[in-house]
Amino acid sequence: MDEVRRAALNAWLTGASGAAVEVTAASLLSGGAIQQNWALSVTRRGAPEEWVLRTDNAATLAVSLPRTAEYALLRAAHAEGVTVPEPLFCCEDTTIIGAPFFVMRRVAGMATGHRLAKAAAARGGDDALVRALGAELARIHRIRPPRADLPFLGTPPTDAGAAFVAAMRARLDDGATPRPAVEWGLAALARNLPPPLPPVLCHNDFRTGNLMVEAHAVTAVLDWEFAAWGDPHADLGWLCAPCWRFGNLALEAGGLGSRAALLEGYGPAADPSRLRFWELAASIRWAIIAADQGARHLSGVERSLELALTAHIIPELEMDILHQAEALDA
Amino acid sequence: MLEQPDAADLLNTARDALLGKLLPALPAHLHYEARMIANAMAIAARAARVDAAALELRLANFADGPAAFAARIRAGGYEPGSPAYAGAAALLLDMTRLRCAVSAPKALL
Repeated sequence: MDEVRRAALNAWLTGASGAAVEVTAASLLSGGAIQQNWALSVTRRGAPEEWVLRTDNAATLAVSLPRTAEYALLRAAHAEGVTVPEPLFCCEDTTIIGAPFFVMRRVAGMATGHRLAKAAAARGGDDALVRALGAELARIHRIRPPRADLPFLGTPPTDAGAAFVAAMRARLDDGATPRPAVEWGLAALARNLPPPLPPVLCHNDFRTGNLMVEAHAVTAVLDWEFAAWGDPHADLGWLCAPCWRFGNLALEAGGLGSRAALLEGYGPAADPSRLRFWELAASIRWAIIAADQGARHLSGVERSLELALTAHIIPELEMDILHQAEALDA
Repeated sequence: MLEQPDAADLLNTARDALLGKLLPALPAHLHYEARMIANAMAIAARAARVDAAALELRLANFADGPAAFAARIRAGGYEPGSPAYAGAAALLLDMTRLRCAVSAPKALL
């Protein structure tokens, strides 16, 4: 971050917080493909504080929510008691640092997926952690429509399963690469739609890698940019899908612990019979996201080795899809 | 006609040099990038040795190519329990195995 931007940021933060704020250090954290996260050390009225500034990368996925929406979600989740970093300020003015951004308090902990999975595997699974994750999801799912503070989420689907199948088919059509194995999975979903449930707020990327953990406790649920109204089991299925187990296939909840502990932590509203559908949906969704990321590289929108390699995750996901579709149809 | 070593051999030899000699000398913040490069070289080397012609012919005979196959699956053309379903499932499994052999051989273990 150059001096001009830092000065503009100091001025804006001072105005937003009503107290003199000075950024004393800013460093880019390892971010995702879509957004940038900056670790900010600041002084507010002379007292040191540690913040994170989150903003968009140049090329953003059309399906992800803008930072301003993510900030509103963070506020809603914080108010509901979900373990999230405290949201502080949101700036829609693109002239300050070049893109909208928000600032939240920095939280201690580690989110790196393979490290957390390795630590969990070393102790034969961490069911206490996974139970806590179930409880976090249950709190997120207490947020239900209508919500005047979350208008960008639109109208909830009347049938989240059917809406999922239709949306994924539309994205496959947009991608223009025929993917018979993914279609095979979608056809299995279409044959096995679960009865609709009242919609809830789904985080839609609640998985190892987006969960900050310290000393076996959740310190923050991160990355709210894919949140939408939907079936609560979509989040449970996403966390339990084979692709998010980081090699710990036997630890079905995110490679961290047992599926039973996750459901126990979630509570009686979880219906295990719906998980098979949503775990297959998870493999399909990740395959289609990976295809979109590969397409960003191939189209020249954003030439990137990381995006190029993401496309090569798809065949492994297709193998999962074929096995999961067979089990769902059985 | 082409000189040896072939593409796969060159990629694998270069990859060994990258991981064995360059990576240890690189600063830590470049390790992730170097490992991605090594991964890309491994995928390209495996792709150079795969022959998809037989499976492509089988796919053409079964369903007139990938687009028609995908469309027929979506249209509900393969009912579980039918012989067509079993044939389609077997073909998909073989196609996916070949794709994994290039992109993710660990998925075949």
